[in-house]
Amino acid sequence: MATPPDTLDKVGAGLDALDAPVEAHKPPVWRRFLKTGVPPLIAFALLLGVWQALWASALLPEFQLPAPVDVWDELVRSISTGEAFGILWTSLHRAVLGFLAAVLIATPLGLLIAKVRVVRAAIGSLLTGLQSLPSVAWVPAAILWFGVTPSTIYFVVLMGSVPSIANGLVAGIDQIPPLLPRVGRALGAGRLASARHILLPAALPGYLAGLKQGWAFSWRSLMAAEIIATSPQLGTGLGQYLHNGSSLNDINMVIAAIFLILLVGIGIELLLFRPLERAVLRARGLTGAL
Amino acid sequence: MTATLETTVSSTVDAAVELAGIRKVFGHGSSAVVALDGVDLKVKPGEFVCLLGASGCGKSTLLNIVAGLDGATAGELQVNTSRPAVMFQEPALMPWLTAQRNVELALRFAGVGRLARKRRALELLELVRLGDAADKRPHELSGGMRQRVALARALASATVSADGSPALLLMDEPFAALDAITRDVLQSELLRVWETTNTAIIFVTHDVREAVRLGQRVVLLSSRPGRVVREWDVRDSSDEVLAEINTHLREVISGHAS
Repeated sequence: MATPPDTLDKVGAGLDALDAPVEAHKPPVWRRFLKTGVPPLIAFALLLGVWQALWASALLPEFQLPAPVDVWDELVRSISTGEAFGILWTSLHRAVLGFLAAVLIATPLGLLIAKVRVVRAAIGSLLTGLQSLPSVAWVPAAILWFGVTPSTIYFVVLMGSVPSIANGLVAGIDQIPPLLPRVGRALGAGRLASARHILLPAALPGYLAGLKQGWAFSWRSLMAAEIIATSPQLGTGLGQYLHNGSSLNDINMVIAAIFLILLVGIGIELLLFRPLERAVLRARGLTGAL
Repeated sequence: MTATLETTVSSTVDAAVELAGIRKVFGHGSSAVVALDGVDLKVKPGEFVCLLGASGCGKSTLLNIVAGLDGATAGELQVNTSRPAVMFQEPALMPWLTAQRNVELALRFAGVGRLARKRRALELLELVRLGDAADKRPHELSGGMRQRVALARALASATVSADGSPALLLMDEPFAALDAITRDVLQSELLRVWETTNTAIIFVTHDVREAVRLGQRVVLLSSRPGRVVREWDVRDSSDEVLAEINTHLREVISGHAS
């Protein structure tokens, strides 16, 4: 060896300094808010303006197109009487419970489909097909099977979200670079340890995408089920509230209900899934989409 | 340097790895391909052996068989070390784990406790001069640094057993994807690490210079099927040996021209 070791050490240290990727500088909070928070606010304000103008032009009768202020009053009324919280709670706790049950069912199911060839051949395409079946289609059958009970609602929610979550997990596992499980085997990981420490974390981005879609589907399915299957013993969820508004010909109530449904959807996405996805992708250096 | 080598080579009579008549056939019937045909190889504890050969000589297949990732069709394999550790051409680090956690993963699979895991991982990262980068994730490291984390992980896996049985490191062209300067630095790094850890290494490469620089012994394999053609002791490597190995390698390759 011609070069003394300490010189090589220095060369190595120099290479590390030169070759290591440079960290991008993070912009300050207010600038990030300006970039990501302000555009949707402007869009919302524009939408309100167009609505107000349409109403003012009186092209449509009041029972079809209400004034923004009237809808606002309805929202304020239902919130101040506490009615809105009861309605939101009824729907949200159903959606969350249904979603959690779907996760518990879909995760082992997805693992089975991804890792056992026979299972994939048998039900893989069925599951993908189920995803394109609107879950509303299950409501009539579910009412015949379970009557107008919470079981009907949970059944429809499960049928809506299980395929999405399982498919997301399958896609996530299919996209794992084959070298990673090989490394696991070379390091002496058994099947279980490999699933826990390599397969599941490696499939996490796909799984998370499946969870996100699964939540959207369970929320959607829940609304469909609540609108169709209404009975006093089921209590008033957002779907029933919407249904009642329609029965009473109260357009303010209908629009307020739609607004609340959207609010929950966007709220869960922004408060739960977006930060989770961001953290997972950032940890892997996949910052392009953020 | 020479003195330490001789003691390690002569201290134990047994081989760390012994292959006898290893044969590997892929596929069946008329489409069967013979990848390895009667390979005999003996590696002593602490020895550094380079397997040299052109594409298709079954170098990687041989390594996979020794690693237990693949089974031989016929022949006998005896591994007298703790679980062999493998290093691939790509670092293959888990992208969601920090450098330290990546090294710890090898220890975790072996059932090492949390504190011991952490201490050993930091120790090994220090050994490959990455003590400061323990909390960095793979995407924050350069290619050479990633391969050094992979080396630390392989060492963790090779030296995990407490009974002090000799360790074995299998390396499959680990520096082939790196640029020339980084490769040069990593080669000397590997030699330094090998001297301090006293691990037996089987190093697969198609680069004659790399083989002669790193190894104590160079084993030339023929292509399709892979057989041991010749061996050279390259501890006192000279330019003549280098030229001789090159000539033989060219002969092996040009034999496939027709």
